[in-house]
Amino acid sequence: MSGDALLVASGVTKRFGGIMALDHVDLTVDAGEAVGIVGPNGAGKTTFFNCLFGLVEPDDGTIVFAGRRIDRLPVWKRSRLGIGRTFQRMELFEGMTVADHLLVAEQAASGTVRIWRDFLHRGGPTPTELHHVEQVLDLLGLADMADRPVDTLDLGHGRLVELGRAMMGTPRLLMLDEPSSGLDSGDTARLARILAETRRSTGVAVVLVEHDLALVESTVDRLVVLNFGKVLATGGVSQVLGDPEVRRAYLGTTV
Amino acid sequence: MTQFFNYAVPGVPFGCVFALMAVGLVLTYKASGVFNLAFGAQAFVSALAYVSLIQDDWPRWAAGVIAVLVIGPFVGVILDRLLFRRIRTASPLVKLVPSLGLLVALPQVALIIAGSEPVIPPPAILGNAQRVYVHLGPVPLSGLELSISVVTVVVVVALVVLFRFTPVGLEMRAVVESPRMTELAGVNAGRVSAFAWILSSVMAALAGVLLAPLYSQLDPQNFTVLLVWGVAGAVIGRFSSLPLAFVGGLALGVAQQVIAGYMPAGVIANGLRPSLPFVVLLVFLPMARQRQFDDPLSGCDPPSSAVERATSGYRSASTFAASDGTVRSVGLWHRRLVGGAGDRAPGLLTRRPTATLAWAVAALAVVSALTWVPPDWLLTMTQGVAFAVIFLSLTLLTGMTGQISLCQATFAGIGGFMAGQLANHVGLPVVMGMVAGGVLAALLGVLVAIPTLRLAGLPLALATLAFALLADNILFPNSWIGNGAGGVTVPRPSAGPVSFAASKPFFVLSLVILAAAAGVVKLVGDGTIGRYLSAVRGSELAANAVGIDVYRLRILVFALSAALAGVGGALYGSLEGSLSPDSFNYQISAVLLVVVAIVGLRSITGAVVAGVVYTTLQVAVTTLPSRFAGLVAVLFGLATLSYTRHPEGFLDYLGARVQNAIAHRRAGRLDARRPTTGPGGGADGVPVAIGGAVAPAGEVAG
Repeated sequence: MSGDALLVASGVTKRFGGIMALDHVDLTVDAGEAVGIVGPNGAGKTTFFNCLFGLVEPDDGTIVFAGRRIDRLPVWKRSRLGIGRTFQRMELFEGMTVADHLLVAEQAASGTVRIWRDFLHRGGPTPTELHHVEQVLDLLGLADMADRPVDTLDLGHGRLVELGRAMMGTPRLLMLDEPSSGLDSGDTARLARILAETRRSTGVAVVLVEHDLALVESTVDRLVVLNFGKVLATGGVSQVLGDPEVRRAYLGTTV
Repeated sequence: MTQFFNYAVPGVPFGCVFALMAVGLVLTYKASGVFNLAFGAQAFVSALAYVSLIQDDWPRWAAGVIAVLVIGPFVGVILDRLLFRRIRTASPLVKLVPSLGLLVALPQVALIIAGSEPVIPPPAILGNAQRVYVHLGPVPLSGLELSISVVTVVVVVALVVLFRFTPVGLEMRAVVESPRMTELAGVNAGRVSAFAWILSSVMAALAGVLLAPLYSQLDPQNFTVLLVWGVAGAVIGRFSSLPLAFVGGLALGVAQQVIAGYMPAGVIANGLRPSLPFVVLLVFLPMARQRQFDDPLSGCDPPSSAVERATSGYRSASTFAASDGTVRSVGLWHRRLVGGAGDRAPGLLTRRPTATLAWAVAALAVVSALTWVPPDWLLTMTQGVAFAVIFLSLTLLTGMTGQISLCQATFAGIGGFMAGQLANHVGLPVVMGMVAGGVLAALLGVLVAIPTLRLAGLPLALATLAFALLADNILFPNSWIGNGAGGVTVPRPSAGPVSFAASKPFFVLSLVILAAAAGVVKLVGDGTIGRYLSAVRGSELAANAVGIDVYRLRILVFALSAALAGVGGALYGSLEGSLSPDSFNYQISAVLLVVVAIVGLRSITGAVVAGVVYTTLQVAVTTLPSRFAGLVAVLFGLATLSYTRHPEGFLDYLGARVQNAIAHRRAGRLDARRPTTGPGGGADGVPVAIGGAVAPAGEVAG
């Protein structure tokens, strides 16, 4: 799964007061590659994630996505460049239907607020947009829930809607922040299956922050371990998880 | 330095009153979560009681004690019990509308109770207001200034003692810091908050009684203007710190006098002083917003009521699907695109009974207007149409984005003045002038939006209120905008051979403009923008994450809304033949928001009905004998109170009731058609199932 570097973060540093949340963290994600970020609580995973996505501005370091510096761009611009993400605490558009979630994302990904289009064509979706929406609905197995308001869905399906929303506009990178949190093992297994299927059919690169090691192992090609804001180890999944230093930091036990 | 001193010292008494107001506002805001804009009205009520009692030959000290320590707290406790306690956790709009309504209605109610307006000029509580008692250096101090300063010092000492050395003071400090934390510590926050209301009302009463002698006659308007200074002080205190709010108010009082002293006389000096609150709000509001997130338990607020959640926001085609279960989103579009037939929704009357009824009434009204209606009625109806256009601007802004603007009348005024000025000086046809007025209002809207739209909810509302005051004071008095009290004439339009000067053609023209405005709102609401907006309402964070530029989207909608208001204002001006700045001052903005919120912000029908209601009220106020005119204000106040129970608006509430009744009837018929199965008929679940389907959409969705 090697190829051109899609995302290159180098020397990303973030302090909160006296706490060094991120200390010169480097990460490279190749096109189509899936990278997992793991680490104990407070290791800086989510801060790093938010730096990549634009919710937190790093004090230092550069982030390049598809050959373009993005570390000073606002969130919505990064999204339009082709980064989709989900949230650890689910963020759905309350009151809207599943299909509308995907449609909003599809239309927003293409850019402009189309006020003239609203005036001239009544703002309905184009056949292409609808086609994309239906493709993703089918991929996620949500087709029969397309017209349900998201408020009526269970958590597992809610997470799938978030995933689907992140996949609209054919992103080149998906950033998933603990997608399994709150899910039972059945839902998590389904999520793993759908993620694998998604990667196979779209070739999208993935950055995954996750505690569920089963989901991590079945999804990612490479693992990065963060501890106290520093990269502790990086490499293949089994190699990294076998590293005694990683086990000590992560499991908190001497092996 | 001496000159500065000369200017600054007379500002101290003003500052003292602003400071008292700021402290009162912060107290109730933190203790009950409501930013009490009715504070100005409370001040007026006590001032009125004070002056009325003195006119009835009460000694001044007794009148003061009754007004400040009895009437003030009484009003405060009533407001807390009846209203504010119930809306602690409601949305910003639901919290703001009642206090705005009371700001207008309360003084009128008080005037009715007082019987007549007092005729004597209000005296100072101590000494003679005008007489100079001592000199502080070269600065003479009058009885008014002395009494204000002395009373404020006494109050501050009392407050410090109360907060530092009494148990209830300690509890109140805790509640102000975090009401939820305090409750967890076993303190009855409700009781403490009631005490905070009493204290705050005493502040309002004091401010009213102390400042009353400034004016030769009591006028509610004066107290509303003062309120804005108090608001600015509260914002300097970041809505949360009592000492900072006090210092802020004091500083503002001094600053406004210093500015007035150093600046040359004229529009700028007279304008700069009133615009100070706006500047302060713009500078300090962003910080105030940060501070609000500091309450460690702020995430633990109980969710807003089910009705409110299910009914917030404009009903666009896609969100509508969620609330009534009819499939209207992508599925239907898809079927439409591939050529299949969508499922037929149930009959029009069943689906949206009030809207259908409103259309029927509207059609009847239009036919009547063009045939038999007398000219003055036709004038009123045309006014209603013009205001409906302005109300649509609020449907677009507040209904769809949830953002509160208290300067829509300002935009309407700008549009009207522009159309008039262009017609008078350049000879631009008035219809073109209306468009130009709309465009100018939109540009002004963008200017207002850029600094303020990073704010949301209450801070945005306050910033727009301050802007409206700014415009009233420095934009409208200019001869090339509003021409001060003289106003601007706006001719009736003509298009080539067709003249709209007569009332019937003008009515038709107004209808065409209303239809166009409604079309814009509908297309925006049902289109991509409407879908983006409902996404932003659902989660701003996620909306950003899918690539929506939320800030730009808001500016766009704000500008579009300002444009609609501008066109409506121009239409109204052309109808009346002239416009004065008072036609569209900041108070009108507040009243417009309250009216349309009560009627219904969620639909175009709501805006049209609001137009009718608003002009009918105006006619009632101007034509009825003055005692009954006061009753209109009372009704207005009552409607405001009922709004907190039905934040979805009167129209939607009515619609739900009618729908309910129809469904019940249908259920009855269904029951009758069933073969009689004896008493067991009810037991096999049919009525229960229907009962579930019949429940109002809001309750089901909740």
